[in-house]
Amino acid sequence: MSMPAGPSLERLLRRLIETPPDFLAPPWRGGEGQVRVAAVVNDVLAALDVQAPMSLLATLSGELKAVSAEQLSLSAVLAWLLADDAWHRFAKASPALPALFAEAVPALAAEAHASRYVFEPERREELARTAIARLGLTPEGETASQAADRLASVSGVERRRLLEASREAEARARAIREALARKAAEESADKWTRE
Amino acid sequence: MSREPTDAERYPTLSEAGRAMLRFMSEHPSAPMLRNRSGNRLLAEEVEDLRAYEREVAAARFAWSTRHAPPWLDAFVDEVFAQVPHYRSLGRPAGFAQIATVGRGDLAADIAQFVPDAVPLDRLINFRTTGTTGHPLILPSHPLVAGRYLAFHQRALRRAGIELRHGRGQVGVMLLGLQRKCFTYISVTPTMDESGLAKINLHPDDWRDPADRARYLDAMQPEVIAGDPISFAALLELPVRHRPRALLSVSMALSASLRANLSERFGCPVLDVYSMNEAGPLGVYDETLDAFVLLQPRMYVETLDAHGHPVPQGQSGEIALTGGFNFCLPLLRYRTGDHGVLIDTPEGPAIAQLHGRQPVRFLTLDGDWINNIDLTHALLPLPLSRYTVHQAANGDVAVALARAEMNYASEAANRVSAALRGRDIRVIELTSEDKVLQYTTDLPGGMAA
Repeated sequence: MSMPAGPSLERLLRRLIETPPDFLAPPWRGGEGQVRVAAVVNDVLAALDVQAPMSLLATLSGELKAVSAEQLSLSAVLAWLLADDAWHRFAKASPALPALFAEAVPALAAEAHASRYVFEPERREELARTAIARLGLTPEGETASQAADRLASVSGVERRRLLEASREAEARARAIREALARKAAEESADKWTRE
Repeated sequence: MSREPTDAERYPTLSEAGRAMLRFMSEHPSAPMLRNRSGNRLLAEEVEDLRAYEREVAAARFAWSTRHAPPWLDAFVDEVFAQVPHYRSLGRPAGFAQIATVGRGDLAADIAQFVPDAVPLDRLINFRTTGTTGHPLILPSHPLVAGRYLAFHQRALRRAGIELRHGRGQVGVMLLGLQRKCFTYISVTPTMDESGLAKINLHPDDWRDPADRARYLDAMQPEVIAGDPISFAALLELPVRHRPRALLSVSMALSASLRANLSERFGCPVLDVYSMNEAGPLGVYDETLDAFVLLQPRMYVETLDAHGHPVPQGQSGEIALTGGFNFCLPLLRYRTGDHGVLIDTPEGPAIAQLHGRQPVRFLTLDGDWINNIDLTHALLPLPLSRYTVHQAANGDVAVALARAEMNYASEAANRVSAALRGRDIRVIELTSEDKVLQYTTDLPGGMAA
């Protein structure tokens, strides 16, 4: 199994340790707070040649009650991580970047506060590895299967995602077998020759 | 248990003329018993899609040769690795040649793993096949895919100077079988203005009067007759006066002598089409080239050695397929079990020295010949992964089963014995791990045609 190599994990972990306190300040939400997360994310994506979808900017605007402060804060931390120059080599114009904010961040934010992804070693590794994996990359020096095993071991979110994916795959396979066994499928359809 | 399909589902675009054609084919005084129901299942927009597809296939040229791969190959492989569960779980290797080959056994193990995520399941159909390796297989397909066969038949017919012209009120094609048990039905072809399609069995048991077989063919006057060497050999025995514009032979190798006899008798081209359920019509035999000229520009063909490596140019290897027109089952280095030599011709690539599809007849105890397909049917109820049947020059028959399946020995022997009307059957253990020729005979008349 081969996937393109991405940035060094060590470098990303160092970057997270060095997260400026401003990024963990209360996000702008419901008319209060300091960090304008939508603007930060927009800038970081633009630097990687990706136009942030309007829906993502609306989500991170701080105007929607359903979007938690934890999600906004973690989005700011992820934006800091993605602002590292290393990504310019590996993730320039990657179509998977917006989904990192739209899909991975809400799941991670539901598990732990953004500060834990900065201050706790295992959570830092989870965030860095999640970013690399969701962009279709592997950490420098790791095989795809090593990277997948390590991510699953540090991330409950990833374990649940894998479980869900395997359930979905099994459900789809079952649906295919059932569809092929239907009478209509058995009757088949016209071909001008039958082998 | 799922419900019985309706005629509206079988023929969604059926007009009054189409209905009249169905009545004509089924209510003719000489009509055979039609044991099954089926239809084209094509929606109006799909009929339009198919017409466009036929034009596209007619104009398409091969963009690959024995020296270079097609330009579309990389994008196709990307798509398969992204969309097909079996491949997604493996991950894409660096080069095309490193992609592991798959065979019938892989498809038979769990066909669901080979259906792309994007395929909607509500109109899935299946084609069952037993093939020559003994792995029974249910292949996913779609009415559009079944309809696309005609585009490749037309491409093959055009090479022989034939443009199909039948339409409303005429029978376009009659498909012949000669089996004890045969799927038979009638339908219409919407892209041919609802010309008729009848799939019939020439076995006398399917007719009120065996003489009706020739009467029915003469009355229906199909523009094309499709069959296999065994049903065509039976056709030669019937006093048919009708002259079709072409014969299409599929499923098994067609001998030069049968082709010549058919062509002389019916005064039309006899096209030997190399076709399989997994891939559709792949090639058509060209006498001048002594090779099967490929018909599908979007199918990349390799010839491989036993380890899955391409054989040197000019050497015979196992035919492996990548691409195809069945969007429910995109093929990627699919090993067919057939062998041949890949050559370049001005028309595109072709397969020379094709072998692996030899039809075999077996002699019953009371002196009748039966088709190997009847033995396949006889053994179908048993969960055998693979088996072989061999008839010796003295008529003795041996069935070989895999070691793990020897517990079915007596039942297999009984079933084959019944099909051969009481012949004694010896059951032995199958020793070869590789693909085996499933049906073999030492009897001079056993190689049917």
